[in-house]
Amino acid sequence: MKRVMFLALFTLIIFGQALAQDAPSPQFGGEVTVAITADPPGWDPSASTSQEIPRVVYHNVFEGLVRFDRDGNIVPALATSWTVSDDGLDWTFTIRKGVKFHDGSDLTMEDIVAKFQRARDPDSSHTHHEYYASIDNITTEDNTVTFHLTEPSSSLLYNLARPDSVIYPAAKADTQRSQPIGTGPFKFVSYLEGSEVRLERFDDYYLDGVPYLDSVVYRIISDPNTRFAALRAGGIDLIGTSLPPEQFLQAQSDPGLKGTEGTGTTEITLALNNARPPLNNKLVREAITYAIDKEAIVNGAMFGLGTVIGTHMSPAEPYYVDLTNTYPYNPEKARELLAEAGYPDGFTIKFELPEPYNIERRSGQVIAQQLAEVGINVDLSVVEWGTWIQRIFLGGDYDMTIIGHSEPRDINIYGNPDYYFHYDNPQVRDLLQQAEVATTIEDQTADYQEIAKIIADDAVNVWVFSPPYLVAAQQDVYGFWQNQPTPAIDMTEVYRAP
Amino acid sequence: MATFIIRRFFSALVSILLATLLVFSALLAIPGDPAEIILGLNASPQALAALREQLGLDTPAPQRYLNWLSGITTGDFGESLNYQKPVAGLILNRLKVSVPLALGGALLACAIALPLGIFAALKRGSILDPLIISFSQVGAAIPSFWLGLMLILVFAVHLRWFPAGSFIPWERDYLGSIRSLILPTFALGLGQAAVITRMTRAAMLDVLGQDFIRTARAKGLTEKKTILHHGLRNALVTIITVLGLSLSNLFIGSIIIEQVFSLPGLGRLALTAIGTRDFPLLQGEILVYAGTIVLLGFLVDISYGFLNPRIRYR
Repeated sequence: MKRVMFLALFTLIIFGQALAQDAPSPQFGGEVTVAITADPPGWDPSASTSQEIPRVVYHNVFEGLVRFDRDGNIVPALATSWTVSDDGLDWTFTIRKGVKFHDGSDLTMEDIVAKFQRARDPDSSHTHHEYYASIDNITTEDNTVTFHLTEPSSSLLYNLARPDSVIYPAAKADTQRSQPIGTGPFKFVSYLEGSEVRLERFDDYYLDGVPYLDSVVYRIISDPNTRFAALRAGGIDLIGTSLPPEQFLQAQSDPGLKGTEGTGTTEITLALNNARPPLNNKLVREAITYAIDKEAIVNGAMFGLGTVIGTHMSPAEPYYVDLTNTYPYNPEKARELLAEAGYPDGFTIKFELPEPYNIERRSGQVIAQQLAEVGINVDLSVVEWGTWIQRIFLGGDYDMTIIGHSEPRDINIYGNPDYYFHYDNPQVRDLLQQAEVATTIEDQTADYQEIAKIIADDAVNVWVFSPPYLVAAQQDVYGFWQNQPTPAIDMTEVYRAP
Repeated sequence: MATFIIRRFFSALVSILLATLLVFSALLAIPGDPAEIILGLNASPQALAALREQLGLDTPAPQRYLNWLSGITTGDFGESLNYQKPVAGLILNRLKVSVPLALGGALLACAIALPLGIFAALKRGSILDPLIISFSQVGAAIPSFWLGLMLILVFAVHLRWFPAGSFIPWERDYLGSIRSLILPTFALGLGQAAVITRMTRAAMLDVLGQDFIRTARAKGLTEKKTILHHGLRNALVTIITVLGLSLSNLFIGSIIIEQVFSLPGLGRLALTAIGTRDFPLLQGEILVYAGTIVLLGFLVDISYGFLNPRIRYR
């Protein structure tokens, strides 16, 4: 047995100012009101991939065996330690003793086993069975749980830290959507649809000294201007999601407010339908990439806030590789390539923007103009969200669209030929499989970087930029996450101090 | 009168049914499926199939509509797909916001518009009349969402007299609820006040030019009696008609104001229901909306008889 020592490396390394805040010492008590943008579809993070759910419940209400901390490291949560056998097939987790659920019952080994049995059962409505596909069976002994795998899995620990892997009482698995019961520092108290969610401090939390706050209120405000007005009027204390760059700049210059800029895992992606002419021609895709001035988009749509990227990876990810120079901005070259591909006079193409996403819509408008300059005539339209999901994302019926891919570690989507990019490359699939069974972090990183390079060379999509994670808050609120290694607004260490 | 009411009742029933059928078909026609929207991106196909079955989406659409209808006859409005709660309860909760908002807006509009409109009609020819008319012109032209944002900026952000972006539930603090409804009431009511002012003025001018007003004056009635008993009463037939329309506008058109002020009212619930293709919830809302419009129209019709006894119902 060898101790999992590559843990720290396994995780996201972030050059944050996480600790740089010269903050007063933490104080107990009080309430913080956080703005969120929409009613999530229920509260069970394993019953939907909506990121609004973890933004409220991840590590506030629900916890898994392990979790991400504010810098993206995987750290103990319900498990205090873990070991992996030399062949990489048996993962044993030691579970913390005396943990209580919010309904007063004790956390048992049965709750944990039941959770993962259900998670890997393809007939359950758990959204991501594939995260647990390598688990062959689960055994328990005293306070340890062992996952026996069919083959080594370099992403198991990562998947166990995801919001999908949180533990709830086995008998109440079906009611978590409406009545969440977890083990976290805050218990779910009430929910008024379209209005507010209220969490209160859980007095039986197993860690001493946290949380600091007595209660947390999430207010559902869908209009970004109203959200920011509410912050300025004092009705909201923190906006930690979907903060437009101009509001961030305003918060920074307002003496009563503060704004922080950190890293996130989102890639704003101009998705191309690789199966449909003329985009099935690699020369055309290259031409489109050459035609787009990403720097200008970051300046024009984001007030300069954002990092230009060249592949499906944000600089916050541990295996990030800079490929921005694969096809740098060069409109001349774009025109030449279009001529070479048989389109000397360009062509007309449909470009559909997702209605709910402001940054994507703005970027899309700049892109349409840039493409027009090399002779590509863009037929721009805005698509309602339900339609976008069904026709474009699930149906794959589109020419071009733009969306932020915010799930961390999601390069595996390029191995799925049915995914809406319609990109089919057996070499990428082999490399993904190789990365999955890799037993060292170095091997896994090398595989991921190779994939990143292949998809960049193939110009599958245009990866435009990675937006920063922006927060605006009242001056007296401290301790919130300044980076976003996973979608979450963790309130455990948040406090107010005058 | 009785046959009139019975006939109106059945035609109302048919319109409401048609409205729900229309909305149900529209939801089927647009792409998007509740299970896909609830599960979100990247959900596995098996999970999708499992949730579809759980939500009953695997039954054919006509069957679903009939099931919903037969539920209604037993008082069961069904369960929201998105919230997993009974539709009736969700809607009742929202009515606690939307009804006070619409009534408050209507009261405010009347309180401003009736005196102003009558005054403008009486002062015709003086400088005050064109002044009132141009104010109402501006009032009608200002979009309510812009007015709402301005009210928030001035009274919530700068003066901090009222909250922004929150509604305090009635059960918790009813004074707080009233406070959070004041700005939206103004944003909603002022535009309607502008419209009603113009209609009141026009109706009054029309009536004041009639022979019976001259007769009333000739028989020695005071000016006050002439205006209020003979003038206003006759002008009210027009004003009430506008008011009925305006009240349904306030009730249904508050979607935008609810969005701007982030109020948990019926309008935002309808938006969510459309966004998530939550058909039982949307159908329930359509029942309430269509029912309200029909009821208001009916009340307006009845009121004619009281205001002008010459009007007969058949």
